[in-house]
Amino acid sequence: MPQATDRRSNLATDGLAELQLLQLADSALPIGSLAHSFGLESLESAELLNPAKLPDFFDVYLFEAGLVEAVFCRVAWRLGAPTTFSPAPWLDLNEKLSARKPSRESRAASAALGQHFILAVKGLGEFSAVAAACQASQSTRSMIHHSTAFGLAGGALSFAEDRVIEAFLHQSIAGLVSACQRLMPFGQCEATRLLWALKPRMVQVAKQSALRTIDDVASFTPLLDWGTMEHPALATRLFIS
Amino acid sequence: MRLDASLALAFERRDVDGVTVLRDVAQTPPLRVIRAFPAEDRSALVHMHNVSGGVLGGDKLALAVRLGAGANVQLTTTGATRLYRSREDALTAVQTNSIIIEEGGLLEYVPDPLIPFAGARFRQETRIQLVPDAGLFWWEILAPGREAYGECFAYEEIGLKTEIRADGKLIAHENVVLEPNKIRMDAIARLDVYRYWVTFYICRVGPDTDWLGAEARLRDAAAPWCKLGEMLWSVSTLPAHGLAIRGLARSGRDILPALQALWSEAKLLLFGRVPILPRKLQ
Repeated sequence: MPQATDRRSNLATDGLAELQLLQLADSALPIGSLAHSFGLESLESAELLNPAKLPDFFDVYLFEAGLVEAVFCRVAWRLGAPTTFSPAPWLDLNEKLSARKPSRESRAASAALGQHFILAVKGLGEFSAVAAACQASQSTRSMIHHSTAFGLAGGALSFAEDRVIEAFLHQSIAGLVSACQRLMPFGQCEATRLLWALKPRMVQVAKQSALRTIDDVASFTPLLDWGTMEHPALATRLFIS
Repeated sequence: MRLDASLALAFERRDVDGVTVLRDVAQTPPLRVIRAFPAEDRSALVHMHNVSGGVLGGDKLALAVRLGAGANVQLTTTGATRLYRSREDALTAVQTNSIIIEEGGLLEYVPDPLIPFAGARFRQETRIQLVPDAGLFWWEILAPGREAYGECFAYEEIGLKTEIRADGKLIAHENVVLEPNKIRMDAIARLDVYRYWVTFYICRVGPDTDWLGAEARLRDAAAPWCKLGEMLWSVSTLPAHGLAIRGLARSGRDILPALQALWSEAKLLLFGRVPILPRKLQ
């Protein structure tokens, strides 16, 4: 198996790293992501969300929930450095993110995706921080969230910090846009255009996440929270969350 | 002038008769408690007053509440908390709430709404610590402003940060900063057509509660109060030891009755008794 090396200083021009990050940020990962709508199914079912409203919805989503996840992703990246990983801050980080998620289903969904993602990365090589994080979380039966798993893996693989945050946001938004394609009359071309149009906002949010801490980053998405919390009450469901 | 005020309340359960009493009070105006009223279930009912009529720009207020083992307290307000317009040169008004509930203690914090006036700036930070077998009902209602004056989201900034720890574990962390001049409150992911926002935590620390069952029961109890475009309620389990409830409403009229229904259902389910309703809810 390949050994992790510290390439943080010159990653911007590292073609191999860019290809690796491209793969980890692909819509095929995390395994299981296609099964979750994170509350969008409830909003669509209540006729609160439709294709015309999606650009505005995702723009605000990125500014609110996306920023919180980006901050946690960034902190996890810093924890993932091959030589400095320590279990306690990692467990604390995930506990804090769990506490930020009032919805049982969305919390479990984020944890399922995080678990699948980190295990997929663990299978790609000997990355000490990834292995230690898996061990710490399994032994304490703690959750590993998608954003923290992505950040930690990005740090452990020595990908550039800002690129990791941007890639995470892209992956998570692509997953939600994909869910919308199955929930409403929203075709592939429209989805492609939407995801393209959201990229500047992703970069902006990734930059903003560098200015926030996990204690001061704020978010206000009450109607989305309603959707995530009420999803278990839907009579017919396409998605787990 | 910046007001630096505090209210510290310590409650204990009297061994001889099981009645909860207010053992210590330390208060600096304008925050004030007159007395604790004994309720028929041996709990203490306490009304918090702000004798200045509301929170003024630059105020720095601190509330500290400690419930000793077995103490049962209902803490409420005498009316809505008015958050007054801040002068341009005034610091943001700040309130910190520090709550500690010991074994067997139960705090029911059921205040009236926060009403931010046009130009208000206010930040509240709440930290709640629960030990094993401690219980909590805690709600906050944020109004959009003085609607009768035509004010809606005319405040400058409201920040509400709440953190709940149960048996040392962080189970809820909410951090909301609202600046209506900078964000669209009616965005679909935010409030859409709704104007009032309610957050309600229900906790009982211990291993024996069927939280999924409680979630389902409370969702059923909330259903009659839900009407798209008017009022929505949602219920979900926290990572451990409790439930989070969120409410959205277009008007404030039915919020307190709905909260009362959820509070009653949850208290009966989790503590085997119904709450004693404040007179304003009777």
